[in-house]
Amino acid sequence: MKSDLRRNWVKILSIAVGLVLAGFIIALLLLVVTHPSPSAVVDSLMTKEIQFAIYLSLATSIISTLLCILIAVPAAYALARYNFWGKSFVSTILDMPLALPPLVAGVGLLLLFGTTPFGDFLESIGIVFVFTPLGIIIAQFFVNMPFMLRIMRSTFTDISPRYEYVACTLGCTNLQAIWRVTIPMAAHGFLAGAVITWAKGIGEFGAALMIAGATRMKTETLPISLYLNMSCGELEMAISAAIILMVISVVSLYVFEYFGGSAKF
Amino acid sequence: MLTIEHISKDLGEFILDDVSLTVEDGEYFVIIGPTGAGKTILLETIAGVYPPDSGTVVLDGRDVTFVPPRERNITMVYQDYMLFPHLTVAENIGFGLKNRKLPAEEISTKVAEVADIFGIGHLLHRYPDTLSGGEQQRAAISRAIVLEPSILLLDEPLSALDGQTRDRLRIELRRLHAKYKTTIIHITHNFEEVFSLASRVAVMHQGKMMQVGTPDEVFRHPNSEFIAEFVGVQNIFRGTCKTTEGLSEISVEGAENTHIICSSLCTGNTNVTATIRPEDIMVSCTKLESTARNSFAGTITDVADNGSMVRISVDTGLPFIAAVTRQGWQSLEAEIGDTVYLTIMAQSVHIF
Repeated sequence: MKSDLRRNWVKILSIAVGLVLAGFIIALLLLVVTHPSPSAVVDSLMTKEIQFAIYLSLATSIISTLLCILIAVPAAYALARYNFWGKSFVSTILDMPLALPPLVAGVGLLLLFGTTPFGDFLESIGIVFVFTPLGIIIAQFFVNMPFMLRIMRSTFTDISPRYEYVACTLGCTNLQAIWRVTIPMAAHGFLAGAVITWAKGIGEFGAALMIAGATRMKTETLPISLYLNMSCGELEMAISAAIILMVISVVSLYVFEYFGGSAKF
Repeated sequence: MLTIEHISKDLGEFILDDVSLTVEDGEYFVIIGPTGAGKTILLETIAGVYPPDSGTVVLDGRDVTFVPPRERNITMVYQDYMLFPHLTVAENIGFGLKNRKLPAEEISTKVAEVADIFGIGHLLHRYPDTLSGGEQQRAAISRAIVLEPSILLLDEPLSALDGQTRDRLRIELRRLHAKYKTTIIHITHNFEEVFSLASRVAVMHQGKMMQVGTPDEVFRHPNSEFIAEFVGVQNIFRGTCKTTEGLSEISVEGAENTHIICSSLCTGNTNVTATIRPEDIMVSCTKLESTARNSFAGTITDVADNGSMVRISVDTGLPFIAAVTRQGWQSLEAEIGDTVYLTIMAQSVHIF
């Protein structure tokens, strides 16, 4: 073949790969949405079971997201602003749950709360994680905390500490400077982090399955519902749960990108 | 009065090494030095951003070494403004007043007052990112000055601005200092700012305070080779000082012959370094008949035209650099290879 400056084969081939991949994803999404009839989906959505799953998913994911914010924001601030002994080690460990299979995380949580004196103590004061919705929350928290942490860390790193220095010379305490200057400036990263953490939380399956189990109408979140209904051949119910999860993902991804999340991750 | 004694601070990349300094009330004090000299961390230590590793900071007789910034009444302006992007210009300027819990009306009166002085009164409702660099820096200075600080710290406040804006804002800074009589410590690497603003200037290098004095003292009488080079004295010669018959002479070994340079400042038989500023050297085609003690003939080896001044390298056996105005250069009608005469007054030869 004669080479021609107008025909850049690297460009054509690499774009083609990208397009095929995008088409593959769209095909999967369309298949899920179009498989059941719309009326069957509506019927499933009306069942007690799916409504419970929606409610439980929302409740657990919102609580776990709040927990992630509460813990990850100060940790991210410390990693962005201060140097301390063992910082890079701590930083790596905090990212660990990202690489860890959720099932392994779930086993770890199960062992912690189910077999140790610490777990026994919590149980004795009425805080039970094993096979309860609390277990779902802690599983979501553990697996998704790195998302909030990473995004907040890079958001804080991008904000010059000099803004806080100036605020301090203008009469703020350290905490006031963070609250009145850094946090408002970090709003976009904060929203991007919160949305992706929440979306990941709603879809969390592996770790939650290990510690909270899959009990119908008790620890049945949307992904658990999808799994349970699929196992017993209730395809319509399963796909309804899948559609809800899909819509949440698409919307979350859009919000995440809108607030510049991918640049911060 | 601000007194800094033996301050040291190691931030890894930047250091302060045993810096001592006194700044009088109402002084316009300029600190100059190359990038990485530790100028900014000195200002941040004065502001109280972080504690020094050792040494003390005393402000008006009070030891403030470990006092948090908000209790020092020292405000700071950075090169890149550091206006809070989520607040309007008015909210930015009023930020400190609000922290002092002043009533809202008093805040807005004071904000409007200071904004008018800086000619940004019409921008108060805008957000910082819609402002030009000059307007942003005016807002940042307003935000710092409205608190009537005992010291205003300016960290290269004009460096990010374009030439014209910089000149205008420099004049405004002088006006501001005359009006408020605030003690100002101003960091720069621009010599013009030193001459037009400074009552005293300090030169920093590698975390150390090298020389402190009036601009004239530092520029005319550098106390070390580093300062001589840094402030742009390019004729630096090492030699031996001799005093004979009331005349002070420095003999400098040149390439072929020994130069005798007269200096009114040289005493005793010691090894000295003599410096001559390029603009203190007169260049002529014929030997000048004047009272000036020093006259050397040499060949032009290089000519560099930097716009307003022309720098001429002349080899007299010693490498001299003379600076003349463009007009002076044209009327000289000389070119590379020509022989010219250099004439230098004895009092223009400085030694350390």
